[in-house]
Amino acid sequence: MASHLVGSSYGAINRIGARLSIRTSGLFTRTFATSTSANVYKNMNPPRTEEMPWAEVHEKGVQRFFWNELIRGMLVVTGHIFKEPATINYPFEKGPLSPRFRGEHALRRYPSGEERCIACKLCEAVCPAQAITIEAEERPDGSRRTTRYDIDMTKCIYCGLCQEACPVDAIVEGPNFEFSTETREELLYNKDKLLTNGDRWEAEISSNIEADHLYR
Amino acid sequence: MSLIQKTLNLFRAIKQNGGILSSLKTLYVTDDLKWGTHVGTDKYGNKYYENNYYFLSRNRWVIYNPDFHLDYDGSQIPPEWHMWMHYTTDKPPTVKPPVNYKWMVPHQENKSGSSEMYYPYSTTRTKIESWQPAHLRTADTEEQNPKLFNIPQNNRIGVQ
Repeated sequence: MASHLVGSSYGAINRIGARLSIRTSGLFTRTFATSTSANVYKNMNPPRTEEMPWAEVHEKGVQRFFWNELIRGMLVVTGHIFKEPATINYPFEKGPLSPRFRGEHALRRYPSGEERCIACKLCEAVCPAQAITIEAEERPDGSRRTTRYDIDMTKCIYCGLCQEACPVDAIVEGPNFEFSTETREELLYNKDKLLTNGDRWEAEISSNIEADHLYR
Repeated sequence: MSLIQKTLNLFRAIKQNGGILSSLKTLYVTDDLKWGTHVGTDKYGNKYYENNYYFLSRNRWVIYNPDFHLDYDGSQIPPEWHMWMHYTTDKPPTVKPPVNYKWMVPHQENKSGSSEMYYPYSTTRTKIESWQPAHLRTADTEEQNPKLFNIPQNNRIGVQ
């Protein structure tokens, strides 16, 4: 319709038609364009139109001849050699950790040496990654204890829900994060491994729980 | 911090590390030369230092037992010093001794890749066991896994 109006010979209608056609064509090219419109292109480095004065030519020549910018860069590097580094020198220096840090799992014991876990399976139920497997059996003394407590550490997402669910503080996420392994099998922890972790790290685990007692 | 003071600190670091040769060795092992107060030594011979002249998390550091040489590892720090090294507490175990129960076991570094590495095994009996004729049963097969955890010996499945 717009193109019809452009073609008409009446002045006023012609002008309106031209305007309409520009608008509509713009509308259509914007909405139906498959690539960026060339009209949006903007030159960020327009070529110099005025002539370079001789003083500037001289200045640029001298800077290039004496490697000014290279030398200035080298001086910045030399200065940084003598600055105190902003990084830490692991494993000789270590970063701060919260008492609530959630690292490698451990099964704890009571001070008497009796294991805490009563196989209530709350951790198994709450685990969002379903990394925990528990099997329980009655012990000769009649108490309920686990015979299997496996955590697949490759599934674990270290959310800490297991230690929050535990009613007896048996399963905890300890402060150790340096348990990376060379094979995948080594990360399939069983009850023996978890209890040994607890026996190794009890000093720090109990101290961290004590530090956090106001918020528990 | 003037240049003079920084030079003095360098000399102090060299002096504390036991002369120029010893300092070069420390530089070779730890890539760093620092000076500070000796807070304590753990039972594995790792020495712990502190100097608040350096900024946080550079102000506490450990020099591993020289016997390790270049086989030092972050997991060689025992738990009681681990929490001081990681700024979880400001009290080193020399000031506040850690809890000590008789069932606690000594610390062990990450053994992955060595012959002492952990390998997973089942802590329960298998649910299905193959039948063994009586004349093939030995004392060994009767007590297949005596180290299983707390399994009632009188409540076995499949063994008469």
